[in-house]
Amino acid sequence: MDLENLAPFSVLDARGLTCPMPLLKTKKELKGVPEGEILEIWGTDPGSKNDIPHWGDKGDNSFLGFVDEDEGYTRYFIRKG
Amino acid sequence: MSTVSFWSSLKEEARKNYIAIFEQEWPTWLAGIFLALVALLIFLWQGPWGVAAGYRNVGDWIFYFGGVGEDRPYSPLLHPITLTSGGLLIGAFVSALMSRQFKLHKAPPLEYVKSAIGGVFMGAGAVLAAGCNVGGFYTAAAMLDFGGVAMMAGLIIGAWIGLRYLLWELEHVTQKGVEQHPPAEKWLGVQPYLGGTVMILVIAAFYLYSAYDNTELGGLLFFGFLIGLIMHRSRFCFVRAFRCPFMTGDAEMVKVVAMSLVIYGMGAAVIKWAWIQEPSMGVTHNFWMGSLFGGAIFGVGMLIAGGCASSTLWRIGEGQTKMVVTLIAFAITNSLLARILKSYDLYDKMGDGLFIPDTLTWYVTVPIFIVFFVFWAFVAIWNEKSEKLVIF
Repeated sequence: MDLENLAPFSVLDARGLTCPMPLLKTKKELKGVPEGEILEIWGTDPGSKNDIPHWGDKGDNSFLGFVDEDEGYTRYFIRKG
Repeated sequence: MSTVSFWSSLKEEARKNYIAIFEQEWPTWLAGIFLALVALLIFLWQGPWGVAAGYRNVGDWIFYFGGVGEDRPYSPLLHPITLTSGGLLIGAFVSALMSRQFKLHKAPPLEYVKSAIGGVFMGAGAVLAAGCNVGGFYTAAAMLDFGGVAMMAGLIIGAWIGLRYLLWELEHVTQKGVEQHPPAEKWLGVQPYLGGTVMILVIAAFYLYSAYDNTELGGLLFFGFLIGLIMHRSRFCFVRAFRCPFMTGDAEMVKVVAMSLVIYGMGAAVIKWAWIQEPSMGVTHNFWMGSLFGGAIFGVGMLIAGGCASSTLWRIGEGQTKMVVTLIAFAITNSLLARILKSYDLYDKMGDGLFIPDTLTWYVTVPIFIVFFVFWAFVAIWNEKSEKLVIF
């Protein structure tokens, strides 16, 4: 999937936050995203590389992938199901 | 037949192993087994593994330099638990360097405040429970002290309360993300060499201790180093075992900690039952009041700070600046509260260690111990599917 060209419904900036805050914020933010739309999360916690993909694929949601940016953060994409 | 020289095959194998050890994350179940084994080695080598007493030693020094404490505290270089804990931090630092992951992480301002508050709670809880998530829970349970089980109950309650606070914060406080410095390519390339150098220095320190007739202390530094390596490579976090059942329902860390405890506890049972170490060794926790209430206070603190006594250390090792604040707050509070309680003779009123086999006999203790922790894991597994305990 071409992650660079996705059109996310909203973007959550969780840079600098550490476990468990990025995941908690993701869970909250995703509640406001309509079904089928995409949430993009910016994070810098190394632990998020496990947490967000793992959690993002639970239930009806699907984790689409992540992209490491040169600026030192990672963009994650979850489609609400 | 191709001609492969001995050296090129060695080099290829070394490269593959380096990637497996330092670039791929270790599965937590494997880390749980390793952790139990190293903890058992520490028990055989010297005594029960703990962490909080190292924080207290740091706190004692802070007060001493501040002119408050009159007696010169124990030297951190000769303090068994400060050495193990220092080794843990260095081990994580080496692990982060070897995997090119060391980076100074900046957090939003509120996170530093939370780190301090969480550290204060953990420092206080660890005094009441006579130990942290390691000494008061993990090791205490393995040493077959009822205090470990009481602290476990406290940690579950505290994690629930702490998570409630985080959810409240989520609704009422908005925080912006903080931009991080991008890592410099050159620095990334240097990291493994620096990590290798520090690792060699740790091994050299062991021989140095040994040369000065302190092999035991040198060994503790090295065991701590191994634990730091294990914890960082697997991102081993005790907090998850208490938090995740309420937060996402995820049962993985409960399963890992329960399995690790069965190995650690049964290993300790063999060592104690065979009198290789004194059976009552490590049965010093404040059962039940101190352990339960201390556990609850500690549990709230680890949720707010985002790390327990051990994960605070390994997170500092990988460059989380906010955890340094937690360490200092934990150390000062722990040292201060221990002084206050002792000066008012309150400390002894918190409870006493109670050796499980003394109450239930060895024959009952061993199966009950296993059934108890397997049951904990099964409750978590049931909750993962049913989400009955998830509050968010």
